[in-house]
Amino acid sequence: MRDAYGIGSGERAGASSPDAVRMSFTGSAREYFGIWIVNLCLSIFTLGIYSAWAKVRTRRFFLGHTGIGGRTFDYHATGLQILVGRLIVIALLIAWSIASRMSPVVAAFGIVFIFVMPWLINRSLRFNAAMTSWSNVRFRFEGQYWRAFLVFLLYPFLCIFTLYLAYPYAARAGFRYRIGRHRIGDHGFAFDGGVGPFYAAFAMAILWVAAISVVAIVILAGALQVSPASLADLGRGAPPGDVSPLPVFLAYLLFVLAIVPASTIYTAYVRRAVYDGMTLEGGHRFESRASAGRIVMIAISNAFAVALSAGLLLPWAQVRMARYLVTHTWVIPAGSLDAFHSRAEARQTAVGDAYTDIEGFDVGPAI
Amino acid sequence: MSAPRSEFPGPSPAGDAYSDGSSRRVAAHLRRTGGGTEIELVASGSGQRLARAGLSEVRRATRLGSLPSEVAFPGGWRFLSDDHRAIDGLLGTMPANRLHSLEAFRPRLALVVVAVLFGAFAVWRWGLGLAVALALSVTPAGLPDVIDSGYVRILDHTLASPSGLAGEEQRKVRTVFDRLLGFAPQPPYGDYTLHFRGMPGLGPNALALPGGTIIVSDELVEQFPDADMQAGVLAHEISHVGEKHGLGQLYRNVGLFALIGLLVGDVGPVLEDMLLEGGILLSLSYSRSQEAEADRLGAGLAAKAGFDPDGLARFLDSLGSAEGSPVPSWLSTHPPTEERVRQLRGDSGGAPDSVR
Repeated sequence: MRDAYGIGSGERAGASSPDAVRMSFTGSAREYFGIWIVNLCLSIFTLGIYSAWAKVRTRRFFLGHTGIGGRTFDYHATGLQILVGRLIVIALLIAWSIASRMSPVVAAFGIVFIFVMPWLINRSLRFNAAMTSWSNVRFRFEGQYWRAFLVFLLYPFLCIFTLYLAYPYAARAGFRYRIGRHRIGDHGFAFDGGVGPFYAAFAMAILWVAAISVVAIVILAGALQVSPASLADLGRGAPPGDVSPLPVFLAYLLFVLAIVPASTIYTAYVRRAVYDGMTLEGGHRFESRASAGRIVMIAISNAFAVALSAGLLLPWAQVRMARYLVTHTWVIPAGSLDAFHSRAEARQTAVGDAYTDIEGFDVGPAI
Repeated sequence: MSAPRSEFPGPSPAGDAYSDGSSRRVAAHLRRTGGGTEIELVASGSGQRLARAGLSEVRRATRLGSLPSEVAFPGGWRFLSDDHRAIDGLLGTMPANRLHSLEAFRPRLALVVVAVLFGAFAVWRWGLGLAVALALSVTPAGLPDVIDSGYVRILDHTLASPSGLAGEEQRKVRTVFDRLLGFAPQPPYGDYTLHFRGMPGLGPNALALPGGTIIVSDELVEQFPDADMQAGVLAHEISHVGEKHGLGQLYRNVGLFALIGLLVGDVGPVLEDMLLEGGILLSLSYSRSQEAEADRLGAGLAAKAGFDPDGLARFLDSLGSAEGSPVPSWLSTHPPTEERVRQLRGDSGGAPDSVR
């Protein structure tokens, strides 16, 4: 059907196993630009209502162009489902707001909301899994309330008391839960791997911040003609004296450059660990060869291209990143790709999905 | 794939078929049958019939970009093919495909781009302010208090220490504060409350939090014992609270970010952070206009309570002579001090523009 059928030996380059199947991405920026700009236009002029349908079209574009062995993913939710989910969440928020104005007791019950969150996140994961298919077989997510409570709320909270030194453990537990509770049809996914790569990713991010910060401090110190050590006094409110704004701005830019890519560096390294540790029932394995340096370079150049084009290059940037990530991922199948079967699923509502959309949680498939 | 033979002449698109819920892929094609009123799905290799349905029973999904056309049979078989024209010939084009043709990359799309640029500007210029006003009106009373106490806790951990002022000094400031409250607008969320903290990092300064908490630094009270000057500063902070400036700004930042997320979708890792930074720069200009408004309202409030309306201007004047102005104005939360003094004394004529 599309060129993704042919898996020539050249495409295997980079993967460790000769049986590895390279994932393909066939979407083009040109094609996505039209979809994106029409989505945006209709969303603005319908006061946001169309954005529910826009979300479906965007998902269908990216999933529909992502393939393994010529078989693509697909997204099946309807715009109406997403819209209803969003309206319910907005109505609940407004109702809570009005009720808490009338009675302070209700306001105090805001704390209860923390206990609703894991349930909503589970619903969202379940909805998105059920609406996504690969090669005609639907994904599934079977959440567990207390596991979600631990990995999304309690573990990250406890990390604060370890000065985030235990964060890689919490991150790994999160992946173990999210991946391990996903199935495609009758086959379950699993994740297992050492915590080492998570610490390595953490260390690389911190190393980057430290290195760039040193450069920034040296420049700033040069500008102020003081020793770098005395800069610490600035933070405690010593008068800054007469400073020319340009080097200060330059140093500020460097600090931004130090902090901003750090999370991208972390995610890029973690991505490898996640794919390497992921398995699918029946012995299927995965492998990511996306390099962290390349991901960071793409992310930074994308950001500048989008900023300088008043946002119009955003579709190009998104397609570029998706293509790089997808085509640097391999699947190592242990048997026929024809052997997956869907299971009957109950009807789904999009309430949780709307909630995670509004709160900006990243629960999408880790592709 | 060789062209399949059909008992009825007409297009017979080739593609892949999947049975209900299975990943098994079968090379197949569609063809007309039953006197031309039915559609048949046939395995291309064996010629075996996989599914058959009336023309009105098969469902064709709306097209998207260059993705294959999809035809679903009632029994659960799905058929995917890139031969869109042949499928059009078999089933007819669907009305929903107008969207697909609008999205096609051609000169007409430039009109959509213009509409979006216009719409985005309108949303940013008017829509955001409207949404913020709406959010302010439905904010539950408890929320600003929670923000206040959280902020005070952070302040106590970082910049602030317990006040070193004598009880007598505090009482004098409190008298000024209470006199102003008699003429202050109704507090929007909770009562106005006055707190004292030692804040050497901030110098002579005062802060207003959305829930009505006003914090005065020891340095301010010690260096400016003049009641009229204190009244000017306190009235300025009270006006911030009364006009819901703090919460409005918070909502603006969050709203801009949420709006981009809702309309544009995921913008990607680095850009997301750049937008946050850019949002802060934009909000600074908003903040400068809020300061001007609080200056104006504060001077009026001080005058109503019987203080010298020039108190704030005198305070700023003596501050301005003590400090240089090392930060360029677009990087600043406040307008330049000389400009504030000029505006307060009415030299420029007319009220400062409060929406810029």
